[in-house]
Amino acid sequence: MIQFKNVTLEYPVTRTLALDDLSLQVAKGEFVYLVGHSGAGKSSFMNLVLKRALPTRGEVRIAGEALTRYRGRRTALLRRRIGTVFQDNLLLDHLNAYDNVAFTLRVTGVPQREWAGRVTTALRTVGLEHKKYALPVQLSQGEQQRVAIARAIVADPPLLLADEPTGNLDPDHSREVLKVLQNVNLRGTTVIVATHARDLVETFRHRTLTLRKGRLVRDDPYGGYAL
Amino acid sequence: MTYHFRQALLSMRGNVTATFATLTTMTLTLLMLGFVLLLTLNVDRTLEQLESQVEVAAFLRPGTDGAALLTQVRSLPQVRGATLATSEQVLDEMTRDYPYARDAAQLAGNPFPDTLRLRVGRVEDSRTVAAAVSALPGVQDVEYGAGYVDQTVRTLTAVRGAGYALVGLLLLGTLFNILNAVRVAMYARRNEISVMRLLGATRGFIRMPHVIEGVLLGLAAAALALALLTPAYLGLASRVQLFAPVFPIVQDLPTLLPILGGVGLLGVLIGLAGSLFASRRYLRELE
Ligand SMILES: Nc1ncnc2c1ncn2[C@@H]1O[C@H](COP(=O)(O)OP(=O)(O)OP(=O)(O)O)[C@@H](O)[C@H]1O
Ligand SMILES: [Mg+2]
Repeated sequence: MIQFKNVTLEYPVTRTLALDDLSLQVAKGEFVYLVGHSGAGKSSFMNLVLKRALPTRGEVRIAGEALTRYRGRRTALLRRRIGTVFQDNLLLDHLNAYDNVAFTLRVTGVPQREWAGRVTTALRTVGLEHKKYALPVQLSQGEQQRVAIARAIVADPPLLLADEPTGNLDPDHSREVLKVLQNVNLRGTTVIVATHARDLVETFRHRTLTLRKGRLVRDDPYGGYAL
Repeated sequence: MTYHFRQALLSMRGNVTATFATLTTMTLTLLMLGFVLLLTLNVDRTLEQLESQVEVAAFLRPGTDGAALLTQVRSLPQVRGATLATSEQVLDEMTRDYPYARDAAQLAGNPFPDTLRLRVGRVEDSRTVAAAVSALPGVQDVEYGAGYVDQTVRTLTAVRGAGYALVGLLLLGTLFNILNAVRVAMYARRNEISVMRLLGATRGFIRMPHVIEGVLLGLAAAALALALLTPAYLGLASRVQLFAPVFPIVQDLPTLLPILGGVGLLGVLIGLAGSLFASRRYLRELE
């Protein structure tokens, strides 16, 4: 599903080496943690998968095709197949939970008659069907994060990227979010979670990739936090 | 589509200043353009009419053989046609316009000489023809209308040139304002745009509300400009017709409609092109 071959990413202005000769593969249906200190390159990895950045050297392949082949309209189509839960892309605060989730369907041109069913299913998956008319300010941070997950999965993408999905959450809420992500994974979606939360990684064990200064220092198939 | 439309209206309401600035310059541009086009149309008409009327009159010395001179001037290449009016005929014409001329002639004798009237093809040629004719034996004096024609043509051409320059400047101002309006509007919904991009919206989808905004602004400016220009022009035209009927002011709708329609259409096109360009540039900057 995702293939990185000797990928180096150097941000042009600051010339920061965010990823350094990174090679890895993530197969369809996997649940993978991406761990590492702040600045290790976790978000940069996700940005490459989304084609928000292009590798300086090396090759990124998504679904068997080189990233550079996703041009113009195909970039949009690529992103439709990837659900994202990012901290810099929070919910739109003028829309309620339902409309935030439906926003995915709107921008990707799904016919309106399909919205109600799909949005309801997605909200049910994250356990928030009863809060569909609540605005983001009326939701707790954990609930907001779950709405963001619902928005990411409502179009049934084969891949879900979550960057610090439990960032500001207390342990209980973090667990809830992680359970939701596992459920999504059980339905066949490949899930990649970038996180600092050591306790979660050790509680819900999955393959764990450890980055340090942009290099892959550990790939542990059975999990465990090794920093 | 209703979604895009609503977004466009929302963004226009959210940025009243930018919207108003764009609307104003756009309306001014279209007004100025309409003015210049109508002026050009009328100048061309007037010139055409003048050209069909430009006449060089040669007054002959008493006793000159008018008929011989007539054949001579007819052979000049710039001369379209020539007639000979005897002093008696001229007096008759004058009597028609000024009934007292006959009485005056009876007292003082017919003051009008035999006159050759030449029609010249182009206004510019009248001076050459006048010079050539005045050199002929038997020609006492020559008169032609080129003096005031030259002056009028030069003035109108200058006004027209200045008008086009102003249209150019205003057009630049308009484009600048559209660019600014779209940028402000897109900046105001940058969060939404960034979410949209991540969710896989195409560029066209993201740009659509702003393109609609541009077209709506163009439509509004076109409507405003035409609503101001049409009555003003027709009013002015009827005034001119009343007080200076020599000017063939264009008033017939079949001629005016394409010009006014063109001005309106241009408004919409400017709005469309400006917002397409601006929104593309803004998205490019985000890459
Ligand atoms: N847009 C950018 N321009 C320049 N440098 C950047 C940019 N984004 C990230 N970096 C740099 O690249 C390196 C990797 O950043 P990245 O965001 O991938 O780290 P991270 O592992 O996600 O960190 P965190 O856990 O704090 O989110 C850091 O040194 C960072 O300063
Ligand atoms: Mg990060």
